[in-house]
Amino acid sequence: MELSLESLDTFRPKTGTLEQWNAAYVRVEDYLRAHRVQNRLHQSRLIQRVLVTAARLHEQRPSVDPATLAVEETDRLMDAWFGAVLGEKDLPHDRIATEGRVALLLADGLQRWPYVFLERGNLPAEFLQAVKQGSIKAGPDLEISSMVPREIDLGTITEAAGETLERIERLPVLRVLLLWGIFAGVLMTVFLATR
Amino acid sequence: MRGPFTVEQVDRSRVTRRRITFFTLVFLFTSLATWFMADLLWRDGMMPLEWVVLVLFFILFAHIAVGFSTALLGFYVFNRERDPYRITRSIDGEALSDLPLASTAIVMPVFNEDPSRVFEGLRVIYRSLQLSGRLENFDFFILSDSNNPTNWIEEEVAWLELCKQLNGFGRIFYRKRRISINKKSGNVADFLRRWGRKYRYMAVLDADSIMTGESLIKLVAMMERNPKVGILQTAPRVVNGVTLYSRLQQFSNRLYSPLFLAGLNYWHQGESNFWGHNAVIRVAPFIDYCCLPELPGTEPFGGRILSHDFVEAALMRRAGWGVWLAYDLDGSYEEGPPTLIDSAKRDRRWCQGNMQHSWLLFARGFHPANRVHLLMGIMGYVASPLWMLFLLVSTIHTFRDVISGAYTHFHAESYTSFFGYMVEVPEALALFSFTLLLLFLPKIMGVVLALQNQRGKAYGGAFRLVLSALLETLASTLIAPINMMFNTKFVIYILMGQGVGWVTQKRDANDDTDWREAIITHAGQMAFGMVWGVSAFILVPSFFWWLSPVLAGLVLSAPISIFLGKASFGRQAREIGLFLTPDETEPPQELVRLQQHLAECYRHMPPLAPLRNDYGLLQAVLDPYVNALHVSLLRQRRGNREVRSYFVELRKKLLAEGPAELELREKMALLLDQESMIWLHEQLWKQPSEQLAEWWRLAMRQYNVLTATPVTALYR
Repeated sequence: MELSLESLDTFRPKTGTLEQWNAAYVRVEDYLRAHRVQNRLHQSRLIQRVLVTAARLHEQRPSVDPATLAVEETDRLMDAWFGAVLGEKDLPHDRIATEGRVALLLADGLQRWPYVFLERGNLPAEFLQAVKQGSIKAGPDLEISSMVPREIDLGTITEAAGETLERIERLPVLRVLLLWGIFAGVLMTVFLATR
Repeated sequence: MRGPFTVEQVDRSRVTRRRITFFTLVFLFTSLATWFMADLLWRDGMMPLEWVVLVLFFILFAHIAVGFSTALLGFYVFNRERDPYRITRSIDGEALSDLPLASTAIVMPVFNEDPSRVFEGLRVIYRSLQLSGRLENFDFFILSDSNNPTNWIEEEVAWLELCKQLNGFGRIFYRKRRISINKKSGNVADFLRRWGRKYRYMAVLDADSIMTGESLIKLVAMMERNPKVGILQTAPRVVNGVTLYSRLQQFSNRLYSPLFLAGLNYWHQGESNFWGHNAVIRVAPFIDYCCLPELPGTEPFGGRILSHDFVEAALMRRAGWGVWLAYDLDGSYEEGPPTLIDSAKRDRRWCQGNMQHSWLLFARGFHPANRVHLLMGIMGYVASPLWMLFLLVSTIHTFRDVISGAYTHFHAESYTSFFGYMVEVPEALALFSFTLLLLFLPKIMGVVLALQNQRGKAYGGAFRLVLSALLETLASTLIAPINMMFNTKFVIYILMGQGVGWVTQKRDANDDTDWREAIITHAGQMAFGMVWGVSAFILVPSFFWWLSPVLAGLVLSAPISIFLGKASFGRQAREIGLFLTPDETEPPQELVRLQQHLAECYRHMPPLAPLRNDYGLLQAVLDPYVNALHVSLLRQRRGNREVRSYFVELRKKLLAEGPAELELREKMALLLDQESMIWLHEQLWKQPSEQLAEWWRLAMRQYNVLTATPVTALYR
């Protein structure tokens, strides 16, 4: 059953504080806006629908924050809606939520059909077709090749130099002594050159 | 009847003659200059110091002579009929639609580059190929190694948007590696291992590359016509410079490089080089022969090969495949660093990579031409400390003469009559003039060639062309000693196994260099120049004037760096017609479109300042669509209990304390974990506000408030 706008006047949750329900309202509003539901009228209608159910749930689970219940209810509505739109029943929440959102994103669903989100029944056939068509493929099918490093024979001089350097690397004391030797050599050269 | 030209028809004996000519020129110029120098040094006796000066001079002059001889041969090529031995000749005069093509992957490795620029560049290339009617032969791969969460998420969103806008699903692909082994070459190798066999060729681009559809089609067609060519390199033109520094670089690249490129092709022929991007590669031999081994020892000299391109060219050639330079092919572009400091940072990376090549100089089986490429790459950086040493030893030599009193005796100037006046003639005038000739003649030849070919107008007119060339010469003279100091520092630090620290940039809206960054970066150079200059001026004023071009660059390095890094000065120079290039006065459609698209992208409102640093993470967690896209691109993995409890703690911390409290690697770990990303999205929206960090509360309230859709890299 579709809720009328007047039902906001009659929205009187029996449990929870006014601040809590206000926060729940804001949370669902932010959540819907993050889903690109920009139309205020449509947004309000959906928020109301969610909050009415959330208020009922809160009576049974008063220890849970109303905002949490409201988002849970929104997710439940979305799962059911995505399942119906994609023709995919009984998928776990994670999968249907991901697949549904990706499909909606690919079809530019909410830009092209701003009023369809979470609507029950009478969804435009064009919309349903567009959403079902979308799929992403980040890479083509694999065709594995073996690519192994090619040996490079560095030549006798380089090999000998390499072995020496590796040996020096393994002996830090020798390395420091060598550096001191080079420094002393430079000093000596400058000294002799300037005499 | 002989068929169309292929590089197989190149007469090898003529190639040998060309190389003999080239090296003979280098030898002639070097020996002549060394003779002049030896003559000067001999006058006060050849002591050990003089010998050091002479040997250094010989090495450095040979390096200059290589460049000059290349330009000279290029000038020769331009002044006769076009080089008959050029690979572009194999498709001369054929319609684009008739050229033979084969399956080609256009791969673009990216690493934290601006996603708007990356994907708009890709759009331009895609559209250009589409308009040429040959798109069906090409697939596109963005291979990301980005480790900045914001860049990564923006790339994913931009990829999806681009695919949607171009209907490019199944043709434009995106891959993000979990572990970035071996950087760019590892990224390309990863692509080849996964999908290489699907393609006969791959065109490797950089994140800032642009290639026209026509140039890509011609490159692939040239490969098809020349089945023994393994790598075909283009000569990318530097474009889109905004700052004065980048405009100077693109002007000199556009005006002078054709000479050098023609000269390179003259003696390289089928033993040319690979520069890492804007090139087409034959995939099968590349997979078989060009996977790089590790070098002996550890970094900085050993370990994995950092500058892979030269080595890949050498390996390809060793396996019997040709490497050619399509030096006269239009439509290949890249961008340069905007400032002197950015350029130095790039040089720091290249320097280490090129110095590693010293291992390979004597590698068995490499073609001598490849050894020359490797040596030239090393000399590109090692020449700086050698110049430094040469200048310092010369200074010591002069000071020693002054102290010993020999200077006056041996260096008494001669005089000549000039319009009735007696004018001093420095002893080194002949050598000095000869050196200047080798340094500046290629620039003069570049200008002459442009004017001779009636291309002055494309550079803003003959007057502006000459004026720009003069100013560029002045600027490059001042920049040269600064680069010498930078490179000397890099070489020394690399030899000592040390990293170079950089000042954190505080760029303003125009991305200009700030004074703090410039002063700290150039402080050593300025101090060194001052001490050197003052001592020279006190001891030998005439020597000071010889050194003055070097000293001026060093002492003024910070202001020069600031001045050249200003975008506003660059724009003013363009307005008054200085440093214009044909790519600006007669821009190809691809570059025009790129600028238009980027202007649209950058027009949008940036995210709120407090949210900006972690905007990618914000979107991946908060935005239901971005989260869904990101999750669907991740592979599902189940870690052990220990790993899972690590992630549980991280997730809680992220929501309760905000992203500022997490290390970069922790954010990346979460972003790579599919389960965590699903959990974070759900819990962010479900948890009561008081359990969330203030940062998240702000993000939820502000996200998507002022715009119909959230800001993305392809916002339009």
